[in-house]
Amino acid sequence: MIYLDDGATSFHKPKSVERAMVHAIRTCANPGRGGYAAADNAARIVYDCRCIAGEMFECAPEQIIFTKNCTEGLNIAIRSLVHRGDRVVISGFEHNAVSRPLYALNAKITIAGRELFAPQDTIDAFESALKNGADAAVFTHCSNVFGYVLPIYEIAELCQKYKVPFIIDAAQSAGKLPVSLKKLGADFIAMPGHKGLLGPQGTGILLCTRIPAPLLCGGTGSNSAMQEMPDFLPDRGEAGTLNVPGIAGLTAGMRYIKSRGMGNIAARERNAAREIADALMGYGLRVFRGEDQIGTFSFVSRCDCEEAARVLAGMGIAVRAGLHCAPIAHRSAGTLDTGTVRVSIGVDVGSEKVKTVKNILEKVAHLL
Amino acid sequence: MRYCFITFNSLTAAQRAESILRRSTIRCSLQRSPRWMEEQGCGNGLRVDCEDLHKAVNILRGNRILYKRAYLRQEDGAMEELRI
Repeated sequence: MIYLDDGATSFHKPKSVERAMVHAIRTCANPGRGGYAAADNAARIVYDCRCIAGEMFECAPEQIIFTKNCTEGLNIAIRSLVHRGDRVVISGFEHNAVSRPLYALNAKITIAGRELFAPQDTIDAFESALKNGADAAVFTHCSNVFGYVLPIYEIAELCQKYKVPFIIDAAQSAGKLPVSLKKLGADFIAMPGHKGLLGPQGTGILLCTRIPAPLLCGGTGSNSAMQEMPDFLPDRGEAGTLNVPGIAGLTAGMRYIKSRGMGNIAARERNAAREIADALMGYGLRVFRGEDQIGTFSFVSRCDCEEAARVLAGMGIAVRAGLHCAPIAHRSAGTLDTGTVRVSIGVDVGSEKVKTVKNILEKVAHLL
Repeated sequence: MRYCFITFNSLTAAQRAESILRRSTIRCSLQRSPRWMEEQGCGNGLRVDCEDLHKAVNILRGNRILYKRAYLRQEDGAMEELRI
């Protein structure tokens, strides 16, 4: 299988990820719950991950909360900043992981910037919306459907100018583009561990500048005599036993990225995406492309998008079709009714695999 | 044996303190705090040599690592809280 669904989860993990997880299963007990060697091993593994993530995202180890995915991190962040009925500005490219928690809080949502690959339009729309008054802003770094890289540093500056607290969804960018809590000054940045960071599923990270409202309450191994959750990071956001094998794998994934260079990996993925996009356009298919784009793009098939994905799956190519849990993004692009087929390149896709994909497209493009 | 013990809010803070102190060549070891030291329940701390205590505390302050309290353990096992 040629896996082109990295936007959903990275599939071909480095071998070191598996080794780290097996090692953790064999050697780790519960971190922070005992003073014996196996508990200490677990605590060390968890702390190592906080340190490497802290380096990568420019924050202190305490500012890192481990979650089970990006969605959990976004829910914690949104529940911490947004109150029932608050006015919230979001981009025109948000995932349901942002919009559904806001909907559940009956937030008054303003969508800012619907135009694809138009950073100035996105900036202007945010400025206009923030100027009108907002209690919070939540925006994605990259569209999970179209790979559009939003101008988050400029939007962050606007939020600071209008004193609006904000959350960044780094689901598609973490591990692929620089993300700095220090430079962005966000209240929270949520990310999965299992996508660009190459960790296993069941891992995620929430970077915190402020103390969050806990989504879960329970044991933390600290302040155990108190019935309130601890009021300090990271314990306040980490009730219950952590996913230590997952965290060990996540550390290995981040080390792999560091050793190969995030910029090198991202450039390779972008190049592969461009080649495949060129090929699809050559067959007359409508492809969404732009300057500010990671190695992810969408195209509109002539047949139903799910049928197109089935054809490709039959030829050994894994892509994702439909709405990608992002109806807002599809509405922005005018593809809500048709859906799209998304191609999302991962770390393992090099020139050989691209060549194979192009050969397959030559055979089946007329069916798409 | 005479030694000092510094307590922290979280295990992570204690781990960060351990890492920074070791980088500054201060010998220390991370341990669970004795129950009586932690009014609010379980906690973690660093055991350090008494002659390093003030240097250690200054390094922690310089790195903005919040510690809770410091204790001295006497040769006879008695422990007392230190004002630092």
